Amino acid sequence: MRDVAFGQYYPSNSVLHKADPRTKLIAGIVYIVAVFLCDSYWSYLACFSFLLIACLVSKVPLKSILKSIKAVLFVVLITVIINVFCYKTGTVLWSWWILTVTDGGLIFASKMAMRLIFLVVSTSLITFTTTPVTLTDGLESLLTPLKWIKFPVHDVAIIMSIALRFIPSFTEEIDKIMMAQKARGACFDNGNIFKRAKALLPVLIPLFVSAFRRADELAMAMDARCYNATDKRTKMKRLKFAWRDLFLALATAVFLALIIMLKCGFFGLL
Amino acid sequence: MKNPIVDVIDATYKYKNHDGNDSENGVTDLTFSIDEGEFVVLLGHNGSGKSTLAKLLNGFLVPSKGKVFIDGNDTADEKLCYVIRSDVGMVFQNPDNQTVASIIEDDVAFGPENLGVPPEEIRQRVDRALKTVGMYEYKDRTPYKLSGGQKQRVAIAAVLAMQPKILILDESTAMLDPEGRKEVLDTVKSLNKENVVTVILITHYMDEALDADKAFVLSRGKIIKRGTPKEVFSDAEAVKEAKLELPVATAVSEELRKAGFDIKPTLTDEELAEEICRLK
Ligand SMILES: Nc1ncnc2c1ncn2[C@@H]1O[C@H](COP(=O)(O)OP(=O)(O)O)[C@@H](O)[C@H]1O
Ligand SMILES: [Mg+2]
Repeated sequence: MRDVAFGQYYPSNSVLHKADPRTKLIAGIVYIVAVFLCDSYWSYLACFSFLLIACLVSKVPLKSILKSIKAVLFVVLITVIINVFCYKTGTVLWSWWILTVTDGGLIFASKMAMRLIFLVVSTSLITFTTTPVTLTDGLESLLTPLKWIKFPVHDVAIIMSIALRFIPSFTEEIDKIMMAQKARGACFDNGNIFKRAKALLPVLIPLFVSAFRRADELAMAMDARCYNATDKRTKMKRLKFAWRDLFLALATAVFLALIIMLKCGFFGLL
Repeated sequence: MKNPIVDVIDATYKYKNHDGNDSENGVTDLTFSIDEGEFVVLLGHNGSGKSTLAKLLNGFLVPSKGKVFIDGNDTADEKLCYVIRSDVGMVFQNPDNQTVASIIEDDVAFGPENLGVPPEEIRQRVDRALKTVGMYEYKDRTPYKLSGGQKQRVAIAAVLAMQPKILILDESTAMLDPEGRKEVLDTVKSLNKENVVTVILITHYMDEALDADKAFVLSRGKIIKRGTPKEVFSDAEAVKEAKLELPVATAVSEELRKAGFDIKPTLTDEELAEEICRLK
């Protein structure tokens, strides 16, 4: 459980760390859209290079980034398997009983896997380079227009930041509970998937109980620190756009343009 | 003469039973006052009503009978609710369940942000508070990886950033190892000495009461003993009723006295050593 790197901040002083969270969020959304526009290998290569450059610029160790892939490896594998066997175009490479593998299927599956990995890496790159508080500040700022329709933007932002803050506490707690159950003879690694799921039940119940207790105590601590004291809540760190944000936005825009051109085949040169 | 900063007059609070009637649990007829700058220790066994009293002091609970005044403000006055809460800073028992943010300085900023303090001033307050508890170098880190004692010091800083007049620690040392306890106690003591914050330390470790100006012993919702730590410790009956455990030095001197030696009650090991040397 310890290996869950998703949602963890990696402190550093890179350009990406210093960039405004709103720029990063929008760039992230644009990137995801671009990934779904991809079809040719060139466009995948473009996506990969863009992401690789971003990773290098961020100074986040590649090991941490690979860990975030590891967390979703299972999902990626399932997707690949399903796509390999269900997508039946092109020449048949291998066939047995009802299972057939075609070259079209292989290509499609590998593209899907790449998309998923790009998605995960790009989003975790945002959480690696942005503290949860800054991230929620950015979201809050982007969602401000929703205040007009009485959407509780600030409360949602606080809920998100607390959720992120408690991820490590809960993973630690799950570890502890599992250890305690194992010490009493519980077994989590044997049997079929149903047996395993059932074995997890005695882990989930204490986890929920403790979650409610934590929520109660946290609510009290927040009240004691005057949460909701005034409507004119201030912020220690105000968000400010800087030159690097313009640069980041430009780079992303150029990237998106490139992907669109590749898609529409405007690249007669290639 | 200056007014006391905490003035509790005949305050009673009872939790409700399931049927809506008052239960036995809570606090009854408490009357006491605390002066500015004092270091007060509140002792009592589990369920004696310590946390209930703490909640009465910061206005979480309002007495059903009697009054609680904080710096002259009545806690029953709803308009003053947030004034009182920012005047009375509370640090709780579990260091993990008090932080709202994943970065220490953001967490410390939470209180003043809620109060609507201007950003530049929040920055100053946060830096000062973190320096005061000796956690300034950690300001960019996550609280999750700190030791228990360090986490509680951050929690203290988070409260200090609201610039409270009173600091209440509700068993904030209970979950810490001896080292962490000492860390937190030393921080609180120096805060009390230098910053003139009035401190109310709630605990069931009697040895934490040694340096206090005053000590109250709570049992079944009532104050059964009050006075200097020495006075409190030498009242064997009250100590027994409150199910408190005496510091070793006091217990030894007590036993010696029972055995017929002419020895004064002692609080610290040094005092005990001196007394024993004096015996011959
Ligand atoms: N919310 C509550 N509802 C009902 N009873 C409570 C509540 N909180 C505490 N009590 C009861 O009131 C008594 C005093 O509790 P508390 O002030 O928390 O004691 P302490 O902090 O000294 O351990 C206990 O018997 C406890 O069970
Ligand atoms: Mg308590």
